[in-house]
Amino acid sequence: MEGSLFEPTWYMVKGMCIWDYEGNRIWAKYYDKDVLPTTKEQKAFEKNWFNKTHRANAEIIMLDGLTCVYKSNVDLFFYVMGSSHENELILQSVLNALYESVSWLLRRNMERRVLMENLDAVMLAFDEICDGGVILDADPTSIVSRAALRTEDVPLGEQTVAQVLQSAREQLKWSLLK
Amino acid sequence: MKARRDGKEEDSNVFQNLDKTTLLQEARYFNSTPVHPRKCIHILTKILYLLNQGEELTTQEATDIFFATTKLFQSKDVVLRRLVYLCIKELSPMAQDVIIVTSSLTKDMTGKDDEYRPAAIRALCSITDSTMLQAIERYMKQAIVDKNPAVGSAALVSALHLSATVPDLVRRWINEAQEAMTSDHVMVSYHALAVVAGARRNDRLSTVKLITKLARTPVRSPYTLCLQIRFAAKLAEEDPSEASEPYLEFIESCLRNKSEMVVYEAAHAIVNLRKSAKDLAQAVSVLQIFCGSSKATLRLAGARTLARLTAKHPNAVAACAVDLENLISDSNRSVATLAVTTLLATGAESSIDR
Repeated sequence: MEGSLFEPTWYMVKGMCIWDYEGNRIWAKYYDKDVLPTTKEQKAFEKNWFNKTHRANAEIIMLDGLTCVYKSNVDLFFYVMGSSHENELILQSVLNALYESVSWLLRRNMERRVLMENLDAVMLAFDEICDGGVILDADPTSIVSRAALRTEDVPLGEQTVAQVLQSAREQLKWSLLK
Repeated sequence: MKARRDGKEEDSNVFQNLDKTTLLQEARYFNSTPVHPRKCIHILTKILYLLNQGEELTTQEATDIFFATTKLFQSKDVVLRRLVYLCIKELSPMAQDVIIVTSSLTKDMTGKDDEYRPAAIRALCSITDSTMLQAIERYMKQAIVDKNPAVGSAALVSALHLSATVPDLVRRWINEAQEAMTSDHVMVSYHALAVVAGARRNDRLSTVKLITKLARTPVRSPYTLCLQIRFAAKLAEEDPSEASEPYLEFIESCLRNKSEMVVYEAAHAIVNLRKSAKDLAQAVSVLQIFCGSSKATLRLAGARTLARLTAKHPNAVAACAVDLENLISDSNRSVATLAVTTLLATGAESSIDR
């Protein structure tokens, strides 16, 4: 085992991804040109990782020279990866920021369908958390305030009864499934 | 395959059967006035999604989409504008003549609207070359010391990226970065330290000065502290004499930090730096506590750093044998593997019975 210090670098994040329950990429960013440069390599790698991690909820895995922290909820999987010579707890803080921000943006409805409906905000959240591998912000409150800029959202009074019932039913369904 | 337009019943399906020909056509919609933000946001999201899925565009296609999106600068809609920035960043390596948006982005970066400014700075720095940069240098310096932390961080992180290509230019922003280092904001001080220390990387004497000075000032940001520990550890490693004692003292003081991230960073550095087993005790006991944590990340961090210590001080690790034995049946396979290999390396007859 190589006994070495952590490099004084600020390019700490090698990648961040969100996958669905089949391991399909919903949104993924890789920041290091030397790590997984092509989409083909990335997707093969994602498949491999997903197979190794989707059942065991083990939080962290070391594989292929990378350390990856992850977290899942219902049908979404969140991953943050860094070099295997990186402080794992820093990566964990980035994962928490990502997970918490997305959770707020989806108003706690952590499921694929809701995420796809809010994909623009999720893209902006990714952009606020990490810039080219440098951690830009890790505080969910400020990330969300800069990603959730949309002003629409029909007020409750103007939704139809059917819509309200539908969303209530879905929230109940997912809370039971958890 | 055509993008499903009637995706009301399954909204997410809109994103499933996209193809680039349809999107290229839809992008023409950006030319119509007045801009309809909602519809344009939807199209931009689809374009970004398709690119993220690995769809390849030819230079011509990328340039066409790029030029279409520049029309959207007419709109004041914040989300739309922000997605345009994202598109600019994604398309700039593929499209031609991307510097055409320089003036629009400069306007956004210097404008009053804090919702645009940070992202505009980052987009601008990702497309400009060194000659264009001199034109915006004044604005960059102002942005680095801006009162809004998001603006400061955006400018500093952009400076970090730029220092790979135009280090001399970025070195001229050091004074501003040093001012930003005193910021109370967690991320601004971190990014500023990275810029300052990065620019002085090859100058040992000024790194020594910087780190020595910082070690005496209280720092709140865990990210800043982690970086400081790394620089201090590097200095101590390069010069193992008595002179490095202040660095080690600083790192040891970080073992008492509130943030686990900092405590681990310090323990990891000490394990790799300290020579005698006695000086290690404090760091090892911290790692021992990590091994018993309920969080797998902490257990892995603890076990991994202890594993590194086996070659140097097997006895120090042997003292943690019980903690490591508990990890053999850990639910996390990486943790269990590390524990087993470490125990095999340090194992003595006495431990085999257990």
